[in-house]
Amino acid sequence: MDSNKKYWKGLEELNKTPEFVEKNKHEFAEPIPIEDVLSGGGLEGRTPRRDFLKALGFGVGAVTLAACQKVPVHKSLPYIIKPEEITPGVANYYTSTYEGHAILVKTREGRPIKIEGNPNDLLSKGGVSAQAQASVLDLYDVNRLKNPLKDGADASWSDIDDVILRALIDIKAAGKKIRIVSSTISSPSTLGVIADFITAYPTAKHIVYDAVSYTGILQANQNSFGKAVLPHYNFDKADVIVSFGADFLGTWISPTEFTSQYVQNRNNKSLQSKKMSRHIQFETGLSLTGSNADVRIPVKPSEEGIALVALYNAISGTTLPGTKKLTNDVADKAIAIVAKELLAAKGKALVVAGSNDVASQILVNAINAKLGSYGTTIDLDNPSHQYAGNDAGFVEFVNEMNRSEVDAVFFLNSNPAYDYYSSKDIASGLKKVKLKVSFANYSDETASLCDIIAPGHYYLESWGDDNAIEGYYTILQPAINPVYDSRQAEHSLLIWSDNAVKDYYKYVRNTWDKSLLAKGGLSGQKGWETLLQTGFVKEAPKAAGTYTFNYDLNAVAQKVLDHSNLLADGGKVELQIFQSVALRDGKRANNPWLQELPDPVSKVTWDNFAAVSPADMKKWGYVDGDVVKVEANGYSVNLPVLSQPGQAQGTISVAVGYGRTAVGPVGINVGQNAFPFHSLRNGTFQTAATAVLTATGDNSPLAQTQTHHSIEGRNSVIKEATFKEYLKDPWNGTGKTKEHKDYNENNLFWQEYDHPQYNWVMAIDLNACTGCGACVVACNAENNVPVVGKDEVRRRREMHWIRIDRYYSFNDNGDGGITKESEIARLNNLDNVKVVYQPMMCQHCEHAPCETVCPVLATVHSSEGLNHMAYNRCIGTRYCANNCPYKVRRFNWFNYWNDSRFDNYLNNEHTQLVLNPDVVTRFRGVMEKCSMCVQRIQAGKLKAKIEKRQLKDGDVKVACQQTCPANAIVFGNANDKNSEVSKALASERTYYVLEELNVQPGVGYQVKVRNINELEA
Amino acid sequence: MASHSESIIREPLITGKDITYAKITNDVLRPVENMPGKAWWIGFVVAVLGALLWVFSVSWTFWFGIGEWGLNKTVGWAWDITGFVWWVGIGHAGTLISAILLLFRQNWRNSINRSAEAMTIFAVICAATYILCHMGRPWMFVYSLPLPNQYGSLWVNFNSPLIWDVFAISTYFSVSLVFWYTGLLPDLATIRDRATGLRRKIYSVCSFGWTGSVKTWQRFEAVCLILAGISTPLVLSVHTIVSMDFATSLEPGWHTTIFPPYFVAGAIFSGFAMVQTLLLITRKVLGLENYITMFHIEAMNKIILLTGSIVGVAYLTEFFIAYYSAGEYEQYTFLNRFIGPYWWAGCMMYGCNVLMTQLMWFKKVRTSIPISWVLSIVVNIGMWFERFVIIVTSLHRDFIPSSWAMFYPTWVDVSIFVGSIGVFFTLFLLFIRVLPSIAMAEVKLILKSSSEQAKLKLIKTGHLDGEQVDFYKESLTTFDSVEIADYQKV
Repeated sequence: MDSNKKYWKGLEELNKTPEFVEKNKHEFAEPIPIEDVLSGGGLEGRTPRRDFLKALGFGVGAVTLAACQKVPVHKSLPYIIKPEEITPGVANYYTSTYEGHAILVKTREGRPIKIEGNPNDLLSKGGVSAQAQASVLDLYDVNRLKNPLKDGADASWSDIDDVILRALIDIKAAGKKIRIVSSTISSPSTLGVIADFITAYPTAKHIVYDAVSYTGILQANQNSFGKAVLPHYNFDKADVIVSFGADFLGTWISPTEFTSQYVQNRNNKSLQSKKMSRHIQFETGLSLTGSNADVRIPVKPSEEGIALVALYNAISGTTLPGTKKLTNDVADKAIAIVAKELLAAKGKALVVAGSNDVASQILVNAINAKLGSYGTTIDLDNPSHQYAGNDAGFVEFVNEMNRSEVDAVFFLNSNPAYDYYSSKDIASGLKKVKLKVSFANYSDETASLCDIIAPGHYYLESWGDDNAIEGYYTILQPAINPVYDSRQAEHSLLIWSDNAVKDYYKYVRNTWDKSLLAKGGLSGQKGWETLLQTGFVKEAPKAAGTYTFNYDLNAVAQKVLDHSNLLADGGKVELQIFQSVALRDGKRANNPWLQELPDPVSKVTWDNFAAVSPADMKKWGYVDGDVVKVEANGYSVNLPVLSQPGQAQGTISVAVGYGRTAVGPVGINVGQNAFPFHSLRNGTFQTAATAVLTATGDNSPLAQTQTHHSIEGRNSVIKEATFKEYLKDPWNGTGKTKEHKDYNENNLFWQEYDHPQYNWVMAIDLNACTGCGACVVACNAENNVPVVGKDEVRRRREMHWIRIDRYYSFNDNGDGGITKESEIARLNNLDNVKVVYQPMMCQHCEHAPCETVCPVLATVHSSEGLNHMAYNRCIGTRYCANNCPYKVRRFNWFNYWNDSRFDNYLNNEHTQLVLNPDVVTRFRGVMEKCSMCVQRIQAGKLKAKIEKRQLKDGDVKVACQQTCPANAIVFGNANDKNSEVSKALASERTYYVLEELNVQPGVGYQVKVRNINELEA
Repeated sequence: MASHSESIIREPLITGKDITYAKITNDVLRPVENMPGKAWWIGFVVAVLGALLWVFSVSWTFWFGIGEWGLNKTVGWAWDITGFVWWVGIGHAGTLISAILLLFRQNWRNSINRSAEAMTIFAVICAATYILCHMGRPWMFVYSLPLPNQYGSLWVNFNSPLIWDVFAISTYFSVSLVFWYTGLLPDLATIRDRATGLRRKIYSVCSFGWTGSVKTWQRFEAVCLILAGISTPLVLSVHTIVSMDFATSLEPGWHTTIFPPYFVAGAIFSGFAMVQTLLLITRKVLGLENYITMFHIEAMNKIILLTGSIVGVAYLTEFFIAYYSAGEYEQYTFLNRFIGPYWWAGCMMYGCNVLMTQLMWFKKVRTSIPISWVLSIVVNIGMWFERFVIIVTSLHRDFIPSSWAMFYPTWVDVSIFVGSIGVFFTLFLLFIRVLPSIAMAEVKLILKSSSEQAKLKLIKTGHLDGEQVDFYKESLTTFDSVEIADYQKV
């Protein structure tokens, strides 16, 4: 029904007044002053009170709404289809191999974040070197090449394959030489690929070149026994070890393995059975090994050979033609005593030498043969494959290039343009080569001279295998998909040699299926899977045979003498070239963890230097950090000097591995390149030279993490005993009392805590710790410890949660143990230096001085004996650090993960993928310190809970403990009286640092024992 | 106490003839009621530049982090806490003068208490800023207050001396401020009564409606006495607690039971030195020689001598205890003050604080204005070094030799310290322009009894012992504000 009712809103509408009609045309009853505002007049207009209130209301409302936004939003993408093997928050471990050691790669959500030792590793029983620990960081290095390059421009793999294949066919047709230059390869599959390549291109040859060469040993064994092999040494079977400049605990051949062997005769177990090996070191610069020796005699490089001749004479009772009296009386006397001790330990003695000189190594072989070392401490039948470089072979290759005989060269894990002594010959030779290919991950010194860079996978992205020791085969499996557009070098070689099998994974499978699996009693798919789970197969070792030495030593001795005369060039300084423990040959120079790892002895980071003996420093008028020009073999560099006690007088030592010119921003121009100081003599690279030093007048302070080197007689920090004293009374070092004094007797102030279930403590054996620093890097990786760079280390602000304190003491005329700065300053002779290492981290004191002074309870005690740090509560007063007697607390001076001045790893979003997600990164202004890997404790407890069992001893291993090749660190529950740590702490040698303060530290140390001989007594 | 006559052998506290209540008001208010002179402007510009340097360097620290300072893993406190303790120490004289000397009825305090209290407040402000900016995360400073929070029972650590410090400093600051302001009320009212326009309005508000009635005065006196009673323990407690920041630690060189009395004496020592530094200038520039006389200067010098000697004894005690305790680390720390790399800082500390102040045994030194001024600066320098030695020289070589390190200040460390002096002087210079730098009302109290003119009248009219009069006259020869010639006639 229609309605004609009319509704009206007001009388105006009903009456339709003209004003109403006019107003009704507009949307709003009142005109909006838009025009006024736009023309600028609006601002002058009067704002009525109500408009003001409206604007205010709108403004406040709008601002409130805007402020309601949650910022910042970090989006994380969940798995759409979750991979079966990945549970977010739970780590997966994959077996793999690093330089022949079986390892485990810890991955989280598909990212490798930590390298851990495979506890069953034949070589180091789960110990991992600092380099291996640091290697995981290089995976995320943004400076790695992201794709292949051709003539410096980005290229595709198919382009590169085309170019190379065509070139290779031409070269093959022309019959010109093809060379594959690599460092030592001990992988059976890779060697197979290279062999196949050579079959395809018969003019090809594999040149093995090691930056730090062991050709001298290989040649000497060829000469002495007809076997050009690197023997496998058994330091664990030796009662007397004499080393002539071989840094076998730091850098020589297989240091992690040797460390693990070496401590077996020196650790707590050995001491309990009243046994300790004696180690005598003759060397030039104070090496890690020398610093651990019971007796260390400094000798010049020129006298190392003469000392060997003298030792041979003393052992065999003959007089070789090269015999000459040593200039150093102490060394002369020592040789006689050492000879006696070696003979007494016949069959349990081992003499090694670090020299790469064939003649010297033949002498060493002769001595070892006389001592019956072959078949016991030296194994020639299960040799090591770790180094096979042939110096003469490489030199010949360089000559070939320069004679324009080579048309194609492939560089595989080899960078001679940096580490060959005459890099200009490489550069000039490469100019004459038509096809130059590098498989390098970086555009390094050699790769940048090549036309094509075909970047290989990083080892964590690769398939492969390794065979470090005869009969020990390890498998390399990828732990992540390739991060960049790289292709495994072996894969490339398979394609370029048009191999029937082009997929390298299949190739590796074939190698294993054919022969290797069988060595471990495995076969088929099942066997392969078992291999991937165990990580290695092991053949029963061949019986180590005894070898008769049969070689004319007269000519050898003459050669040694000639060499010595060459080096002892009157008035000149003798220069020793060595590898630093942190950087070794410099291949990992772009790794910030390694750059900031202090050298174990000098405690220098981020630099190499010329080590000078304190006597020479005085004589030459240098102070630490003075930059000198070191000139030798026609090459010179400017290096800061460092006063190094124990350095042989009249010598300097310089480390290689620094001075990279083409690598990422971290490693570039750090230190100076010392490889060009090498020279070629009698077919091998020589690591000693005569040098001239000239002061430049500059001073460049070194970044040392420790600048005071003596213990100042504080024997509640370091306790020592001699082995003789220990045998007499095992309590000797800890103060002869069979019971520890109870400093807690009259405790009035400290709250005693209950530890109902766990009491986490640690035991550190100072006699096992060699000071290598692997734990420092392991801790960096586990706990996301920032790297601060050279300037900040100079300001003494390194962030390491664990550090290794190194103290020198001196022996003057039978007065052993001079440890006070003022007394040391009066000594004339600092040659006779003794070194002790002490790993130091948060001691998790029961009466923690840090806890009482924190105003906000940011650091508190746990019911499990741990001293916790609540970063979010910390306001950064730093009182805790001041009040820590151990000075182990570290303050975040800057925002290391968000500050462009620290552009080394934490500041990069991509590199942050290496961070351990279980450990939070710390903001600037908060304190941090060792947490005893509380995340690992937590994970262990959870795992036990899921498996519905009690936590067992050994379930939780802290990062430093886990990586230690010497097993010097034991961690566990003190409430469990049968735990390893309880047993270790029950040792007579246990003491607590600064015990008398009654802070009740949770970390016990075991007294350092020195097996000094009559020379010292 | 205003009208009884005082013994003639006491030196006058107000000198000059024809001093009336009005003249006092006029003299004291001259800087407040007139445009400042050139000297003030020069001083003010320099001080403000210093304050701006402070703003800049503190902002720099907040932006980049504490890493901009020279601290390191071993030396976690250096110029920051040195500066903090130095300023807190300086802030001690004010309350001592206003509270303890009031309770002891030391009338001479009336001339200097206002400036000294102002100085206290400004010094405590400088100290408090150091507390804030030495924190790694200063924006989280609220965590150090025992406030209710969403974490349930999460409280502050009452064991920590830093928490005691928070309470001690904030209490001290608030009580000093109240005491100072209460004392200001009658003087503010005086200004109000003489001012016009906007100034009158402002001072009117500030004087809280002071009427000047007898009842007001009576209440005023009562409040002052009560506040003096409250403040007195604070004088001792604040620096005691500051000293506990060190004494309760394990650190050799800090862990010392003598610290509380030693620090309190040191604080009074440095506080009086700073009062001396400021007032010797102020009295000259503002022409207040008649109110701050040689008697005041000498009295303060005597206190400096006394407290300096107490500090000296404390130093000796520390050394003795270090020797006697046979504590290995303790002994090394004290030896290290002389033979370590910071030996020069140790020499500054012992030289400035002990050796130099012993000069004050000589009356000539005590009554010489230039020497007193120089010595007051020497004491301030020495006390800064005392804190530096205690903090840095102890920390840099403590238990574990591997961690021994040196501390080198950066430009930021230096700028914040220099800047804090700028802040202090900016505040002080503003203070003398807007508030009476002498407590007029309190000075007027003693005009009739202790002024030179009152004594002169006494000599003229009274029947005094001639020997005593001669003694009085003799004492006046050191006064630079007395016309000795006047006394030849009488």
